[in-house]
Amino acid sequence: MRHLSQPVPHTIPPRALLTSGLVLAALAAVWSALVLTAPVDRMQGVVQKILYVHVPCAFSAYLGFGLTAIAGALYLARNDERFDRLAAAAAEVGVLFCSLNILSGPIWAKATWGHWWAWDPRLTVTLLLWFVYLAYLLLRSFTEGSDRTARFAAVYGILGATAMPLNYFAIDLFGGAAMHPENLERGSLGAGMGWPFAAAIAVGFAAFVHLLLLRVDLAARHTAAELAARERDFAR
Amino acid sequence: MNVLLAVLWKDLTIELRSRDRVVAMVVFSLLVVMVFHLSLPADTRDTAPGLLWIAYVFAALLGLGRSFSLELENDAVSGIALAPADRGWVFLGKAAANWIILSAVQAVTALVFALVFDLDLMAVAGRLAGVVALSSVGLCAIGTLSAAVAVRTRFREVMLPLLMLPLLWPVLSGAVRATRQLLTSGSLSFEPIQFLIVTDGIYLIVSFLVFEYILDE
Repeated sequence: MRHLSQPVPHTIPPRALLTSGLVLAALAAVWSALVLTAPVDRMQGVVQKILYVHVPCAFSAYLGFGLTAIAGALYLARNDERFDRLAAAAAEVGVLFCSLNILSGPIWAKATWGHWWAWDPRLTVTLLLWFVYLAYLLLRSFTEGSDRTARFAAVYGILGATAMPLNYFAIDLFGGAAMHPENLERGSLGAGMGWPFAAAIAVGFAAFVHLLLLRVDLAARHTAAELAARERDFAR
Repeated sequence: MNVLLAVLWKDLTIELRSRDRVVAMVVFSLLVVMVFHLSLPADTRDTAPGLLWIAYVFAALLGLGRSFSLELENDAVSGIALAPADRGWVFLGKAAANWIILSAVQAVTALVFALVFDLDLMAVAGRLAGVVALSSVGLCAIGTLSAAVAVRTRFREVMLPLLMLPLLWPVLSGAVRATRQLLTSGSLSFEPIQFLIVTDGIYLIVSFLVFEYILDE
């Protein structure tokens, strides 16, 4: 028996999870075929293929952090805990992708720049982002009470998003030389690398969506289990 | 505005009567300076700006944590939350009190720092004070908000630096840059000052707006 005053937790329909999983598997198959057959870079050799992992991870990480801030702001405005679950899920998935991005970067950097790490603007900002949202996850786990956790986390997520453009400006004003290529239009991708790169971005996005849905579903089930336990205690 | 002044007056009166925060912060930052002196080579002209700011941030962490744990005693925070105004004004009052206390500590620390590392700060004292005061606005904005959050979590001593330092990065990079210009060339370009003004403004406005959700009891 469910009390009318308690909202029904919103789990993700199994069909949606299955669809996103199948899309991810199909795209991953296409991606691996394209990456295997992609041309080997003349200057960098085979290590350049890490591009097809490194860049999609960065895109998915930024997507996750942006979503965390937006969902947090929506939670504060609407006081609907679905937004809080979305923000928490996006932050976790974002930190995961950001970690993969930060781990895959040095492998490439050692082979091409000659150093594991350089204080390149984009690297520094990504590292700071990683710290902000790691602190966000720690804040969530160290705060008691679901309402307070949601509010504190939302505020911190918004502050984190505010700090990012400031970091960019700070590095732009005071920072060193950029080591990352500026953007794709400048022809940093060689011939035959366009399609594998596009597939990599698509796989990164599909993996992001699938993991996000799984995590939101898990959070909703968690809330449902808590409500059920409370109802059992109440009935007793 | 009245709420801002009332909170500021209250915090400063408490501090004037007990003086425990200022004393603890000064002693701590002096110890940090001594540790720097013992552990680094004699010529620290290049690193001095960074060292000075590390000492300031450590002192701030100590004082900011205390700023809200005081309010938890006897549940005083509920009384403050009932103040008849937007809660952002409470935030500004708290931040202003922290800024004044921190400024006093920074002045003493700079004096001792100059003596220990044999720096001639007199020629740039006025401009250095301006740079430090300007940077500390951003530091106190982010610090006060982080302290208000951290104090009501488990492991509050750990959470304050974890929450505060990643957000403080732009303020510190501007502050260290401006301080370095002053200490090495004796002149100051407008770029870091402009950047600090913008950063302070953004952090103050965002903190003012979101503080309501932090103090909402």
